[in-house]
Amino acid sequence: MLRFRQFTALAALAAGESLRQPIFLLLSLTCVAWMAALPVVLMHKFGEDGKLVREGALALHFVFGILVTGHAASWSLAREMRGGTAAAVLTKPVGRDMFYLAKYAGIVSVAVAFSVCAALATLLSERVSERFVADPVLGGYVTDWNTARMVFSGIIVSLVVAGVLNYRWRFPFQSSGFGLLAGMLLLTFIVRGQFDIHGRLSPMLWAYDWRIVPASLLITLALAVFAAIALALSTRFPAAPTVAACCGVLLVGLVSDYVFGTAASRSFAAATLHRVLPNWQNFWMADALADGGVIPGWYLLEAATYAGVYSAAVLALGLTFFRRSDVG
Amino acid sequence: MEPAVKTRGLTKVFADFWCRPRVRAVSGLDLDIVRGEVFGLLGPNGSGKSTTIKLLLGLLHPSAGSVEVLSRRPDDVATKKLIGYLPEESYLYRYLTARETLDFYGRLFDIGARQRAERTEQLLEMVGLAQAADRPVGEFSKGMARRIGLAQALINDPALLVLDEPTSGLDPIGCRQIKDLIVALAKRGKTILLCSHLLADVEDVCDRIAILYNGRLRAQGRVKDLLRESARVRITLPSEAAGPEEKLEEEMRRRFGPEVEVGHPVIELESFFLDVVQKAREGHEPDSGVGHEAGVPEYLRETAAGPYVPRGGGGEC
Repeated sequence: MLRFRQFTALAALAAGESLRQPIFLLLSLTCVAWMAALPVVLMHKFGEDGKLVREGALALHFVFGILVTGHAASWSLAREMRGGTAAAVLTKPVGRDMFYLAKYAGIVSVAVAFSVCAALATLLSERVSERFVADPVLGGYVTDWNTARMVFSGIIVSLVVAGVLNYRWRFPFQSSGFGLLAGMLLLTFIVRGQFDIHGRLSPMLWAYDWRIVPASLLITLALAVFAAIALALSTRFPAAPTVAACCGVLLVGLVSDYVFGTAASRSFAAATLHRVLPNWQNFWMADALADGGVIPGWYLLEAATYAGVYSAAVLALGLTFFRRSDVG
Repeated sequence: MEPAVKTRGLTKVFADFWCRPRVRAVSGLDLDIVRGEVFGLLGPNGSGKSTTIKLLLGLLHPSAGSVEVLSRRPDDVATKKLIGYLPEESYLYRYLTARETLDFYGRLFDIGARQRAERTEQLLEMVGLAQAADRPVGEFSKGMARRIGLAQALINDPALLVLDEPTSGLDPIGCRQIKDLIVALAKRGKTILLCSHLLADVEDVCDRIAILYNGRLRAQGRVKDLLRESARVRITLPSEAAGPEEKLEEEMRRRFGPEVEVGHPVIELESFFLDVVQKAREGHEPDSGVGHEAGVPEYLRETAAGPYVPRGGGGEC
């Protein structure tokens, strides 16, 4: 029971510290606002709006998710090890293993919170995008401006309310701002789910492209893998080199199929690197959604297994480093 | 008596990124700290005091030698349940409030929610931060951060309290409070390891001291034994009995030689300062900084022999 309480306290602290960083709210807001603006800036693409918005929003989810997770993971442990807070905690009855794994759990929960926001924004954004409707009365190219207005209003309202909460009751602006942003997106999602794209009341219609959900889930799995890598690197390097190394891992992982995969049959080294390096293409399935495609459940399961095994291996390696490192 | 801390040949060599030896911070340290004593670790900056403490707490891995804390390995989780540690710098999570900070550290121990809340409030009162309890510690001044650091070190009512430069950044009232606290805890049989380069602090409260220089142990023993000047004697007389100073000095010099000095005793600056502040407080002067501190919390005062009675005049501190 004590160990569970310690673990949750440490994980909650890691998550809370990340959520209260100004950069977290800045990245989340930018990402959501950009997603919301996509249908506006991509107007009139002759029926391709839905695809472009969906792929653009998922790409934003991936890029901003990497920034959020990478920052949280690299700054969290590296800064704590060199700044002394890790030492203060490790003099309490907390083992290094628990400290390290709780940090990971906290960072992953931040990645999940961000992903929930991003997925909601993607679903709403795709709904807003212009589409052709074959209807004798309301037919033609239709854009769901009501949903767009509600998303933008939600962003502004969440910031204003967070400001008031901070001014009146000293609530931390960053975390309450993010919480309100998530709440407003959820509210918009629920309310607009009761209307069709013409704005007519249709309770429980939920007119969203649900194929986006598994695609977002895959990106969240990628963020969990990335967090494990960043955390492992930060046991050995200060924050800035960790971020640089993470960028390297991200780039190599993105081109892994092209650079190493194609040469894997001819070269043992290429085959090894192809297997050892994280393959981010496994988590990028936006293309599969084109022309009505869906991501099958078995693929999700396989990707989750890959992410789980890869993260566990990287965490084990990082834990070995962390056990041997001097803290404080 | 069973030692609370025992080191044999303790050595720490810091290495660079390529694992090449860089600095020998502690070298062949043999240290025995008996349970229930207040032990002072002295030395100039860079003498290895903080490194020694971090080795005792299991934060650093020794390059050679052995460490036992409360008869166990220092990195044993069971050992850490009995230790309180105030680091040299107040390492705090800057986005947590003072209350959240204490609650967080309390959660890491086997302390129930109710007891945790009680202790949190008592400690906030003790360190004079009850009014700032809901402010993020990132906004605190160095002295306030030091006070919250001290409070977190006491949340578990530790058997071994390790204080690294405890009075650094504190005003004289805070310094005095720390010394009172050390005395109170010592009366309860707690072991206290105090690390400082402020000799007056150590002299006031420590039973035994060790002096480190360049990572090596240079002197060790009881404070009274180390500071006693066996070749000199001091006599204190009431002014009325002594008569005029010049006459008394002339008389004494005639009898004991020219080395005799006669004059009025001088109180310590700390006592004088505390006296002035006390008088100002009695005049209800408004206080814009740290609030008035409460006494040592109940759970830190209870002893088998009865309740703790604070020490008397400022001159004794």
